[in-house]
Amino acid sequence: MTAQTEQLPPAIAVQGLRRVYPVKPKPVTALDGIDLEVAPGEFFGLLGPNGAGKTTLIKILTTLLLPSEGKASIFGFDVATEAAKIRRIMNMVAGGEQSGYGILTVREQLWMFSQFYGLGSREGWRRVDELLDAVGLGDQRLQRVSTLSTGQRQKMNMARGLLNDPWILFLDEPTLGLDVSAARAVREMVLAWKGAVPGRTVLLTTHYMAEADELCERIAIVDHGKILAIGTPSELKRRVQRESVLRLEVNRLDGGPAVLARLPGVVSAALAADNVEAGTGAQRVAVNLVLRDDSALTGVMAALGAAGSRVLGLRTSEPTLEDVFVELVGRGFADEADAEAVDDAATETADHDAEHHPER
Amino acid sequence: MNAPAVVGHPAFDGNGFDPARAEGIGLADTRRHLWTAIRLGWQVESNWTDPLLFFIYTVAKPVASLLLLVFMVQIVGGTGASGEAVRTFVVLGSALWAMLIAGIAGPAWSVLDDRERYRMLKYLYVSPATFLLVLVGRGVSKLAVGAMGTVVALLFAVVVLGLRVDLAAVNWPMLVITLLLGLPPVLALGIGLAAVCLQTRQESWSYPEAFAGALFLVSGVVFPLSILPAPAQIVGLVNPVTWWVAGVRGAILPGGASSVGGAGSLWVTLTGTAIPDAVTTIVVLLLTGSVSTLSAIALFRVSERRARERGLLDRTTGS
Repeated sequence: MTAQTEQLPPAIAVQGLRRVYPVKPKPVTALDGIDLEVAPGEFFGLLGPNGAGKTTLIKILTTLLLPSEGKASIFGFDVATEAAKIRRIMNMVAGGEQSGYGILTVREQLWMFSQFYGLGSREGWRRVDELLDAVGLGDQRLQRVSTLSTGQRQKMNMARGLLNDPWILFLDEPTLGLDVSAARAVREMVLAWKGAVPGRTVLLTTHYMAEADELCERIAIVDHGKILAIGTPSELKRRVQRESVLRLEVNRLDGGPAVLARLPGVVSAALAADNVEAGTGAQRVAVNLVLRDDSALTGVMAALGAAGSRVLGLRTSEPTLEDVFVELVGRGFADEADAEAVDDAATETADHDAEHHPER
Repeated sequence: MNAPAVVGHPAFDGNGFDPARAEGIGLADTRRHLWTAIRLGWQVESNWTDPLLFFIYTVAKPVASLLLLVFMVQIVGGTGASGEAVRTFVVLGSALWAMLIAGIAGPAWSVLDDRERYRMLKYLYVSPATFLLVLVGRGVSKLAVGAMGTVVALLFAVVVLGLRVDLAAVNWPMLVITLLLGLPPVLALGIGLAAVCLQTRQESWSYPEAFAGALFLVSGVVFPLSILPAPAQIVGLVNPVTWWVAGVRGAILPGGASSVGGAGSLWVTLTGTAIPDAVTTIVVLLLTGSVSTLSAIALFRVSERRARERGLLDRTTGS
């Protein structure tokens, strides 16, 4: 932090924040008493499965939604009563959506927003051209928005998000739906922008563990509207380091990882993220196991043998943020069906997921 | 997609953390936001498809509507002096309606388009531009496109249908005053409708035209209010669109038939005068327009607050 940013109030201050969606047959609590403080200059992550309340929190902080209870402020400005001030110093970019005025060119669309952000006409064109070069869309500047690929559209959205040189940038699943290389480009872009000026703050929501691990200086793990843990990635990982973390591969696993999770000495068992689509009926099933100590492995092997499962591989792993999440929540991101129900209900009034999870 | 060479790009150099930035720059901001919204609306309206389709919607549609009504009048009203008067009344009202419907439905369509189709409403909303101002700007641009339709329909009526407009006889001051006084309430009705559409779901797409269609009946556009039942005449008399149409019609065709007043009308019962004169028309337009405008702004404020409470600003309903 610089001397200038040290004098600033917290970039984000949230106290007792609750948000209830008044849907039928019963209201859905998306945020349930959140307390959070993010310092100027931090790259802060909200990590959690779909329906955890991440997007609801970002909507409140970006003044799109009012809280049901509690207080939230951005650089000291209250989200409920000083929205106009907040809007001048922040910006937001959401992923997984096809937003944009398709009939305008990339340059036209961004210029329009530069005017809404108070730049002069000429200054706006100059800023737009600079940013288009910076995000690698210089060659597409005169292309209609409707002709852009998903990755290009997200780069354009990133350029829009940086038009006003925000003090704080809210990124809501910015790499959702992007291919590996486009997602990497977006991450690099965000890191470069943030690194260029000390004090710039980023709040990122994601359910990609690796993304949070790579980008964030501090992370809050959220589920069912509550913050379960908060800390640096290494602090969070140390929570499970005292236990044995193993990756187990078997040819089949009838009953799924829950069968293992019930065994004595097993802290948690969850399908590994890299084989979630294979399911438990596949020929090779990988499970992340957290054991209280190595002695619990004997019971696991015995149970697998009794169930007719053949062990194809077993190795210890470094704990990941997913292990932390599994220990905190008792399930992995792959087993998030229950959590999604919360968001499904919430979408009756705030249909975020129609954009973010169109496959549902 | 290749990763761009972003590290160290000068575009990422910032302007620091000057607290004054959170305050904005007042009137200059407001002017810029309004102008940008008008420009955005114009771009979206005029550029959304190819020139042929733009021509069809802007020119052919109002002319077709005009012809439909003219033929109906021709069949029902026949020819002769009274038939000519009725035809003139209908042609002028119908031409003006192209502009009115654009202004009334425009802001509501902007809400629906931006939220459901372009998915940009949330980005506009969280920008420093005042949301109401953005919608007014979008409405102005729709009104401008509608005005083109009105002008084209009027030219068509003069050249093809033989509508007689004596430019020397036109009451120009009355025309200018009425036009200017009428535009805010027309846009205000649009803002009121936008406030409603902010709260509703899929079915909203039909609301703007449904509302405009209902308004068509009680605004004296193609027939005088006197033929309506008394309750509907009351709605017509407190409706600023009625007075706008009556004022513009009276200015272009001085001494012609008026949509307000006439034998057996509520206006005659209430005032004892046959038809309102120019000054009365302007005064009532000003009064009904002011009430409509203030009511629409209040309604919009309530709706915006409720939308923010209920999370409706970025809701998409898949329609």
